Amino acid sequence: MTAAAIDLDGELGAIVAGDPDAFARWVAGAEPPLRASLRPLAARVDCEAVLQEALLRIWQVAPRCRRDERPNALLRLGLRIARNLAIDELRRARGLSADEEALEVALARAAVVEPRAPDPLLRRAIEECRRALPQKPAAALEARLESAGAEPDQRLAERLRMKLNTFLQNVTRAKKLLAACLREHGVELEELT
Amino acid sequence: MSDDDLIEEAASAFRPRDPRDGRARPHPAWLDLDDAGRQAAFDAAARARPLEAALDPAGLSTTARAVLARIRPR
Repeated sequence: MTAAAIDLDGELGAIVAGDPDAFARWVAGAEPPLRASLRPLAARVDCEAVLQEALLRIWQVAPRCRRDERPNALLRLGLRIARNLAIDELRRARGLSADEEALEVALARAAVVEPRAPDPLLRRAIEECRRALPQKPAAALEARLESAGAEPDQRLAERLRMKLNTFLQNVTRAKKLLAACLREHGVELEELT
Repeated sequence: MSDDDLIEEAASAFRPRDPRDGRARPHPAWLDLDDAGRQAAFDAAARARPLEAALDPAGLSTTARAVLARIRPR
């Protein structure tokens, strides 16, 4: 299952006008390439924190973005913002050594992942696999999804009356079961990233 | 906690916020991991987010929803 590459700049006008729903649609397509661009620094900076800050910054500076003859102008701006934030974070943490300057080059050359349109067949397969999950892994995964990063896992675990490590193991198990089920549907998770 | 548990926790979208400027800070579990564990956490998140997005009616991952909550607080 592969989807065609898309130009996310169709949302740019509405984003510039301050429409958060348009930005949400843009983020849905832009997140995978932005995340992939940070992979060379995954052992050095917390890329999840950097990515969230980069997305926020993109929303703030989007009114200054101008379309050009190439697709995905805002994404290209976003890639630069994410890379610069990651390097700032690295500098803040330990200073940028000669070795880390090589990382800066690696970041600039990180694999380019193009944004893809959502695949309705994939959505159906995942929903089917989710319904087949055992109760506790399903509950742990549901808690993660509902929280959407708003609360630490410790709090989610307490709400489910699980110890933190039990909760985490249930989340891991849920994801493994989903991956195995999707494989039966002909979907490899690596294809999605 | 085991490394696997730390990796799972660091792969979530939750990030503590700096009380001074509100910026997302590194997850404490991520700080406890070695380089290989951090890479594994990155890869786990990269595999999980498309699944989350496919399960969400608006097609948004938990990362996307965490950011959008800061843009349009409930």
